[in-house]
Amino acid sequence: MITEQAEVERRAVERIVLGAFGELTGRRSEPLRYAMMDDTPVGVLGLASGGRGLRHLSYVRDEDAFLQQLLEEHGDVPLLRTASLDDVRRALERYFAGKRLDFDIPVDLSDLPAFQQRVLDATARIPAGRVATYSEVAARAGSPRASRAAGNALHVNPVAIVVPCHRVLRADGSLGGYGGGVRIKEWLLAHEGVRPASL
Amino acid sequence: MTPSPMPDRAAHRIAVLLAKHGEELARHVRRMVRDDDAAQDILQDTMIRAHGALARLPAGANTRAWLYRIATNVSLNHLRSRSRERAALRRHAAERDAAADPQVDGQLPSDDGERETLWLSVARLPERQRLALTLRIVDELDYEEIASRLGGTAAGARANVYQATKKLRLGVDPR
Repeated sequence: MITEQAEVERRAVERIVLGAFGELTGRRSEPLRYAMMDDTPVGVLGLASGGRGLRHLSYVRDEDAFLQQLLEEHGDVPLLRTASLDDVRRALERYFAGKRLDFDIPVDLSDLPAFQQRVLDATARIPAGRVATYSEVAARAGSPRASRAAGNALHVNPVAIVVPCHRVLRADGSLGGYGGGVRIKEWLLAHEGVRPASL
Repeated sequence: MTPSPMPDRAAHRIAVLLAKHGEELARHVRRMVRDDDAAQDILQDTMIRAHGALARLPAGANTRAWLYRIATNVSLNHLRSRSRERAALRRHAAERDAAADPQVDGQLPSDDGERETLWLSVARLPERQRLALTLRIVDELDYEEIASRLGGTAAGARANVYQATKKLRLGVDPR
């Protein structure tokens, strides 16, 4: 079958690339598979996944910038461009089309410090159309007095949109910061039907 | 004194080159040499040459085309030396056959031999024709795709493939 043959070729090609990478760099870690989404309403997005789920959803200038970012954060891991992040891509397309605003895709945060993981887990449970404050998220993460630290943890959220850190606002209802820029935060919230100024 | 090399920077640049171009180059090389181990060696060699020359590549140069050029040329060198090896093996086999040694099978698949002859002729084509032709017959790309990898236009790619097939008198339909 043609598709089977294509799959055999794809795997062989991947082995060749990973083998070459290992020989040339001496590093044989598990690859990160990445893909680009070039024309979303919020600009260019870089996606990257290990074997256990999505690890990066980043606002980037272009592919080169995203690769630099991945290599800086992970050392020289093998990076493979892939079409197999299709599930993430489809979920994002549905999100941007307003068809489904919540995400049900596996996310891998296991590399992050425990506190940041708890903050992001708490954030992931805020449904679309709702918001929370930094101190509420800190409290849900088990550290009620760490709202500033929670804000920092969210600011470096590696999986934007899917872990909806844009749904976390200041206690006075003002937007607070956003890694991708406050205008994107505003756009995402408006897209989800939230009017932050009215809070 | 020249500064010592910075292996981390080198690894970094190779990681970027492999991320962006590794898969398509590996597919191209694998289809040319039909041998996964050799393909990996060739990809490594391509990356080492690319990395060494990257700093000298003029700004605005087509990196993708340039990588295809290196990978194709390294593959052709490999096929050429493999062809020499096989010729040597055939001579050995013939000599041994002459000595009536029944253990040695001097027969090699004839299609391999024909393919090698073809590659030797391809290697002698002008570079643009050589690259366009390998992408056409090895990777089975259309002319738009060939142009996107090598630069230039689809019409130019078609003309290069046409010239190459004419020279080689291949039964390849240049459409």
